[in-house]
Amino acid sequence: MPEGALSGLRVLDLTEGSFDYAGRLLAGLGADVIKVEPRTGDPVRAMPPFPGDSPHVETSARHLHLNAAKRSVVIDLESEPGRDAFRRLVAESDALIESFTPGYLAARGLGYDDLIAVKPDLVMASITHFGQDGPYAAFQGSEIVDVALGGYLKLTGDHDREPVKPYDDLTTAHAAVHAAAAVVIGLFHRDATGEGDWFDVAAIDAAVFLLGGVAQIYQFDGHIPVRHGARLMFTAPKYPYPSTIRPCLDGYVHAHSNNRDAQRLAVLMPGLGLEELLDTPMGNADAIDEKMDEWLADKSKFEAVRRAQELRLPFTEVLTPAEILDDPHLAARHFLVELPHPVAPSSSQPGAAGILSATPWRHQRAPLLGEHTDAVLNDVLGLDAAEIAALRGSGVIA
Amino acid sequence: MSAATGDAPTGGRRPLRGIRVLELTTAVAGPIAGCVFADMGAEVIKIEGPRARTAAQSPTPPPVEGVPGHAYNRTPFWNELHRGKRHVSIDLAQPAGRELFLRLVAHSDVVLENFSPRVLGNLGIDYPDLKAAKPDIILTSMPAFGKTGPYALRGSYGPGIDAMSGLSHLTGYPDRGPGKPAQFYLDQSAGLTAALTTVAAIRHRNRTGEGQYIELAMLEGELQLVAPALMDVKMNGRVQSRIGNRHAWHAPQGVYPCLGDDCWVAIAVESDAQWRALSAVIGHPALADDPRYAGEPARHAAQDDLDPLIATWTARRSHLHAMHELQAAGVPAGAVLDVAEVHADPQLRHRETLTWVDHPEMGRFPHTRTAWRSRRGHHGVAGPAPAFGEATDYVARELARLTAAEAAALEANGTVTRVPLG
Repeated sequence: MPEGALSGLRVLDLTEGSFDYAGRLLAGLGADVIKVEPRTGDPVRAMPPFPGDSPHVETSARHLHLNAAKRSVVIDLESEPGRDAFRRLVAESDALIESFTPGYLAARGLGYDDLIAVKPDLVMASITHFGQDGPYAAFQGSEIVDVALGGYLKLTGDHDREPVKPYDDLTTAHAAVHAAAAVVIGLFHRDATGEGDWFDVAAIDAAVFLLGGVAQIYQFDGHIPVRHGARLMFTAPKYPYPSTIRPCLDGYVHAHSNNRDAQRLAVLMPGLGLEELLDTPMGNADAIDEKMDEWLADKSKFEAVRRAQELRLPFTEVLTPAEILDDPHLAARHFLVELPHPVAPSSSQPGAAGILSATPWRHQRAPLLGEHTDAVLNDVLGLDAAEIAALRGSGVIA
Repeated sequence: MSAATGDAPTGGRRPLRGIRVLELTTAVAGPIAGCVFADMGAEVIKIEGPRARTAAQSPTPPPVEGVPGHAYNRTPFWNELHRGKRHVSIDLAQPAGRELFLRLVAHSDVVLENFSPRVLGNLGIDYPDLKAAKPDIILTSMPAFGKTGPYALRGSYGPGIDAMSGLSHLTGYPDRGPGKPAQFYLDQSAGLTAALTTVAAIRHRNRTGEGQYIELAMLEGELQLVAPALMDVKMNGRVQSRIGNRHAWHAPQGVYPCLGDDCWVAIAVESDAQWRALSAVIGHPALADDPRYAGEPARHAAQDDLDPLIATWTARRSHLHAMHELQAAGVPAGAVLDVAEVHADPQLRHRETLTWVDHPEMGRFPHTRTAWRSRRGHHGVAGPAPAFGEATDYVARELARLTAAEAAALEANGTVTRVPLG
């Protein structure tokens, strides 16, 4: 088995919930990512869904996916012997990712400035909702709060309704991707210079990053954009249209065209008088929607997309989770994987985020809580069985 | 001292200094990947066909007074996506253009591309061609669906892939059709993932001398984030759908109306302590001890009863006041900001999330930096977006080592252009 792109790097992972995606990416790329968990486990282990809707510390879908290919060590950071063991682990590691509230680790003598005493070239990434300091540093965060303050929430939903939150934890997960990038870049810099670094990653920044040009366009045209359902919001009358979602016989289709191919819509949907409307597409968006609805009414989503793509119009199906699992394209690429697990029932989960020709993505099931405590304390810290037993007996590790 | 206020004692050496990236990209995701490289100190050369820019039709502002500007250099979104990069226009469909490109590859570390899967092969610059020019080159491709499989040749853009990933099905109101996260979600996420994966591959090359080909199917990156819904199908036979602003298990959570037109505050209660705090703030402290709302499952089931009580309180306050009152009591709350308010927000200003850089033709320009600040100052953006063709001489003479006559011949026959055509 060839090694991963990040083989040989050890990363301690103290993140929670969707922030766990940062370590998942690094583990997929081959780093030895060690989750340091409290005795009750990473809180993601308590988050639904579970098989049979029965909460179990080993079977949360989020845990099985986000902690895949990591190892698990249970250390009680509320005890001094636990903190001592953790500091020794840091000294033997390359990077640390954490998502506690600002000041939590520092109050326990485990902040960046404490840890560089034992590991001077440590690369550390701290992920929070608002950042380490500033007027909101003590605010209580949450995914919906992050998307609200980042301006992303107000642009999602219909103009005649309240703004609506994007699915699940998209923004916190996006912050985790930034954190993973910061760690990889920080380690690259360390390898070149011997210098470590501390990265302060904020989910509200990630939400602003997701705005996709809106903050820049506003600056120069002064127009405050509003939410427009599934439409792209650039509102100049000659801007290409459609980019939207419309109903069809058995569901919904994402319809799209560029200004270069907009007239192909008239070819795709003949006899509807689209030609004139497409001269100023965005200005005629409502009328174009009506024509599309007429054309789509008797077509399945797969049929509509097939015909559009034959004309090189980039339509796609709006797929449900069940349809994604049955999708022939993903099946042909063997994207979904089953990672046999001693406790969780067999299930498929998303596989590689990327295909790397020389350094393959690492597939490995999520660890049981504390599964690698003994191995890590022995291999990494050199503790013998008696020392490990003593720590376990005093409740410092599990 | 925190990371955000720390000094930058590195003498200005950026982490990716010395890395050269050739960026053959279109739309958004590919340029985002290049932004991360440029911001972190790599030399990123955007290579664009002579007619590519005609696709950009968004309105452009007037030039800075007294500057002889060109509208094609003032497209706000394009400039956001290409800050800190160099720019050259090469017609890769011409044999001389291909030859010039391969000479650049020989002096580069990475080629980034996000065209549809046939394009590189049709141009004769697929991975084997690049590898022949530079044995340890890293080619990172970001096809929509991948280079293999039944949908490999489908065209699509970020919002269309959002639709196929389940995000559209899962975003929106329970009583309406599928939605879409703001403008789009996927492009930014895919761009960041491509950047970090590619830096990891450079690390591998530095250790082993081995380059590689990286294929990041945008759909497969996005499906990572839909895992809970995908796994729920197999685990429980349940097909999740839109739940609006509610949380899957915490309650209450929602977006509540405030004073003013289209003004809202987002509130999320994630613990009994926060529920107690919210009950007190909105003037119904007895709710915290009401057995009907004791514990999260009960509150989740009863949220239709709770929402009007919360909305009555928020409706008498501005969205900013509501946020501050709730946060002062320990309740997660955020004013729903529009883009003008994002520019003015004190926390985002404190963090310099929008980082201002002077652009020669546009004046001060607000770029969105990546979501981190660093103790060593390894954050922010590298510089303004390039003017069209500004790196023509650098690329032709210094990198490709063409003679003046050879460079002039490429311009004379239209292989290299200094102004966009068509």
